Amino acid sequence: MFDKYEVNGVFDEMFEASGKARSHYAPLVQRLQAMGLSAFERRRRMSDVLFRNQGITFTVYNDASGVEKIFPFDLVPRILTAAEWSHIEKGLTQRIVALNMFCKDIYHEQRILREKIIPPDLIYGAKMFRREMFGVKVPRDIYIHICGSDLIRDKDGIYYVLEDNGRTPSGVSYVLENRTVMKRVFPALFSQYRVRAIEDYPHNLLQCLQYISPNQMDEPTVAILTPGVYNSAYFEHSFLARQMGVELVEGRDLMVDKGFLYMRTTAGLRRIDVLYRRVDDDYLDPLCFRPDSSLGVAGLMNAFRCGNLALANAVGTGVSDDKAVYPFVPDMIKFYLGQEPILPNVPTYICARKSDRKFVLEHLHELVVKSTNESGGYGMLMGHQASQEERAVFAEKIRNDPRNFIAQPVVQLSQHPSLVDDHFEGRRVDLRPYILYGQKAIVMPGGLTRVALRRGSLVVNSSQGGGSKDTWVLEEEAKP
Amino acid sequence: MSQAPTPFSSAAVRNTSATGFASPRARPMLARDADSMYWMTRYIERAEHVARLLLVNSNLLIDVGDLAPAMQAMQWQSLLTVLRLPPLDAGNAPISTAVAQHLTLDAANPNSILRCLTSARENARGIRENISAEMWETLNTLHWSLRSDDLAARFEDSPDDLWRAVINGSMLFQGLTDQTLPHDQRWMFTQLAKYLERVDVTCRVLETKFAILQSAENLMMEGTIRNIHWMAVLRSCGSIEAYRRNHVGDMDPMRVALFLLLEKDFPRSVRFSISAARAAIAGIRGGIDPTGIDPAERILSRLDAQLEYAEMAEILSEGLANFLRRIQAGVYEATSAVQKVYFLH
Repeated sequence: MFDKYEVNGVFDEMFEASGKARSHYAPLVQRLQAMGLSAFERRRRMSDVLFRNQGITFTVYNDASGVEKIFPFDLVPRILTAAEWSHIEKGLTQRIVALNMFCKDIYHEQRILREKIIPPDLIYGAKMFRREMFGVKVPRDIYIHICGSDLIRDKDGIYYVLEDNGRTPSGVSYVLENRTVMKRVFPALFSQYRVRAIEDYPHNLLQCLQYISPNQMDEPTVAILTPGVYNSAYFEHSFLARQMGVELVEGRDLMVDKGFLYMRTTAGLRRIDVLYRRVDDDYLDPLCFRPDSSLGVAGLMNAFRCGNLALANAVGTGVSDDKAVYPFVPDMIKFYLGQEPILPNVPTYICARKSDRKFVLEHLHELVVKSTNESGGYGMLMGHQASQEERAVFAEKIRNDPRNFIAQPVVQLSQHPSLVDDHFEGRRVDLRPYILYGQKAIVMPGGLTRVALRRGSLVVNSSQGGGSKDTWVLEEEAKP
Repeated sequence: MSQAPTPFSSAAVRNTSATGFASPRARPMLARDADSMYWMTRYIERAEHVARLLLVNSNLLIDVGDLAPAMQAMQWQSLLTVLRLPPLDAGNAPISTAVAQHLTLDAANPNSILRCLTSARENARGIRENISAEMWETLNTLHWSLRSDDLAARFEDSPDDLWRAVINGSMLFQGLTDQTLPHDQRWMFTQLAKYLERVDVTCRVLETKFAILQSAENLMMEGTIRNIHWMAVLRSCGSIEAYRRNHVGDMDPMRVALFLLLEKDFPRSVRFSISAARAAIAGIRGGIDPTGIDPAERILSRLDAQLEYAEMAEILSEGLANFLRRIQAGVYEATSAVQKVYFLH
């Protein structure tokens, strides 16, 4: 089964360079070998049917053949030890606290700008900086309630933060559904490990949302705002609404009257206190942002600014996950918390900086260039794989609009065995844990391990043909 | 002797409406969700009727054997009339195949089983947080079974199996609706939808078949064949066994019609369905406005009373066709009123 498996000189999650299984993977490897390929294959087909019948799908734009796709599920679980996790958990908690302090600072005192830690033009030039939020008090001073940070491991096995998603990170529903399917298809595997449960995520999310309600008199009304069934993450919106038992609303279900937000029900209008919005800032309120948007509702920002409505995440958090602001997160941690960052950043060149830009343009063939405001793997150049022409096109783009680009050295993501046809091959993976920040920060033990299904590919985004794995965080070993 | 269980009926609905909003847990539903809940259910009910009509008709034609081609064509075209579809030009294909195909798998026909189930699923997909996981999985699985690669081959091998699967799927869905949803406003919208759709199709079946069979009866049908035809009408409405128990050995057209229209305790009769729809709308209204009367409730209550006190002689003097059309008009008005009051806030 693993006879011809190659470690390829990158960090392999399951095997050491010598080809020996890492100790926390050893029981899994044994189990898989005992099971044999055909039994494994049978279970893989079973999981496909489960996903399809339950309608666990995402929607792909620019695909004529069909809108709904199954998110490819890779049955071999990724396993993290308790020690690894505790390190990650501390690092992510530190990060979300700092990012929230940064948002509050930027929209109020701007100490970090005045003390010249971050150049002001970088902030004011950020597409997601929202003047409209300046001086606005948000409930409990929390801006980012739900964050998904992407972690990768370089050759040395060290975890780096590749980016923070502080706007509307998606994927958590797949984490929960992957686990459910895994338990149905491979119940026996769980008996050899003590895997930490993740099933209380929706409960924690609801508590977090209720915590920020401006109306603490009676049970707050929470709703999720979705762009609708054709949105790529619609399954997730509906899933979370179901799990939390709250309404799933669209813009057309809403109206604002005298500074309060209401939904249209069969019994007339009902007030909403907290909106977990899965619609981008730009589309939230046609009076404030894009006038052509019908995904939000006119007057929403007013209700928010009056303090009659809590939004999760708050408007304007995009300034903190702008890719050109990302290089300053370690500085934020030092500035606001007086601590050393626990999880390092990937080294990043800011094209807006003259010296960096020069370096980037000279080294395009060995760098990854990213547009600062795109996500989902769109708008990027993999310099080492691109053709001469593609690089020239990108160089031109960088010269024309340097603020819009950053560059990073190619990070060789770690790999993990995946079943390919009739054998296992290494495929690159990343990890997106989910962090909630309400009364306290809660990092869900696990996260979405995304897999680049094509050999050698470093792009794991689901919109670019990536798959996912169930991710196990092990309980601490009981001390004898 | 044990006591007979309380029949599942409007009483349950009335009780719910009596407590209504007094319960602190009751919460109104989104108008758009109510709309989807309603149409999801109507489309599934419609798919079931289409499947049953096809199943019964193809079996009927096996039973009666060599039927004149014109009569055969009329039988198949009548299904289209029931569903308010224009007649089909079969071209060179046998009429049976053409109609079966058109009503089962034709994606261009809004009343084909395929389209009904797709519409039902599309509605369900928008309200998954309002229905149970079991309901969704049943509907989704049924939907995908009609999208599988071997569908055409399966349909050719045994169309019966496919139609039966649709009927069973719909029945399972109804059972799950009753057993996995709280019997609150959401559920009442499904009941309203189911029974209004059932009244509509049942009235159309009676209207269409009466027109055909009465004109044909004088000409060419003797006893056995005639009986088989009337039995098929009952089967198309899923009512043959219930009828037989009530009217042992008797296959009289007028009795068949009156049974399907006026039978008090049979859940597929028009009277039962109107009564259940009325109870559902009263429950919905009661949860929102306990003292008011809603326009759809008024319309359905009147129909309910008319059916309760209807007499055979009366119906005959008015003419069955007129009577049926009056019910259909009422259902149409009630549907519009529901849309206006609850869905279009």
